[in-house]
Amino acid sequence: MKRTSNILLMIAAYNEEENLESVVDNLIENYPQYDYVIINDGSNDHTAAICKRKKYNYINEPINLGIGGAIQTGYRYAREMGYEIAVQIDGDGQHDPAYLEDVTRPILEDKADYVIGSRFINKEGFQSSATRRIGISILSWLITILCFKRVKDVTSGYRAVNKSLIRIYADNYPIDYPEPEAIVDANMRRKRILEVPVIMKEREGGTSSINFRRSVYYMIKVTLDIIVCRISYGIRR
Amino acid sequence: MPSIIPPRLTLMLIVAIVIYYVIILSLLKHKKLNMKYTLLWLLTGLIMLILVLFPQIMVKFISLVGITSLMNGLFITMIAFLIMLVMSLTSIASRQAQRITKLIQTQALLEKRVRELEDKVDIDGELSSDKEN
Repeated sequence: MKRTSNILLMIAAYNEEENLESVVDNLIENYPQYDYVIINDGSNDHTAAICKRKKYNYINEPINLGIGGAIQTGYRYAREMGYEIAVQIDGDGQHDPAYLEDVTRPILEDKADYVIGSRFINKEGFQSSATRRIGISILSWLITILCFKRVKDVTSGYRAVNKSLIRIYADNYPIDYPEPEAIVDANMRRKRILEVPVIMKEREGGTSSINFRRSVYYMIKVTLDIIVCRISYGIRR
Repeated sequence: MPSIIPPRLTLMLIVAIVIYYVIILSLLKHKKLNMKYTLLWLLTGLIMLILVLFPQIMVKFISLVGITSLMNGLFITMIAFLIMLVMSLTSIASRQAQRITKLIQTQALLEKRVRELEDKVDIDGELSSDKEN
């Protein structure tokens, strides 16, 4: 597939046979100004078959790497193809492409290096469950304390980055639950992080990757990830 | 110092260490162990042999650290050593996981390029469009 745009939408898909088709068809039909790539992260349902049948632009990982590894594949592809901006969006229809312009504009205008689509600025749309919001705000405050940088929606997967971060993330992207750690990492590299309001939908089908039982593990692991990431950069900011 | 370990036990331990080395060498011979990771095990065997032949070293070390019982000292030293070994194995496993991730990503990106090239090739086996830039 040849590059027809400067902006690449990276859609990580793990067992998304229910939602993927509508999400991608919508992008192709209504947002042709962007290039897209689907990263099938070793799904064991019909995700790969759908991509093949519909002749989508997709990358097929033979083994499940988790969201971090899959997104990194997307960044490697973006670097290989020389894209200026890479946007992460979920394959489950949570992220409305209507906000793609809002998310990419600050980068095009060179006002930010890293833009995060945030549910909690205007507090509109799907706000996630109360327990999750508590978890997210704990992580958000932790990042504020460690980095002096206030980001409200630290777990949002709706993000756009510029070329300098594409290059960095292609070589090195956090694994497992990468979103909060990626913010710390970008901040420590003195990248300009900006949150823009978006409205997210509740997932259309399938189940979220983080269930209730895993949330304790999630909090402990991500907290340690953030602290270790912060420490490994030393005192400089 | 009179014999700390009874002579019969000393003999048994030496035999055990010899068997240990035979196992390591046969694994090496059949290429089931990398020399890089084997050095640690060889060194471990050597330390064990020295301690069996000169148990006074252990006694000195134990009194130096402040452990009163010889057996306790032996166990603590062994456990400490095993913890270090397991840690190094975890670190090896982590590094391999990272490398496997890189490989899967590279493979997936290459597979995409191959697939697209194949789509370009006609049934006759000729390129239908101009060469990939």
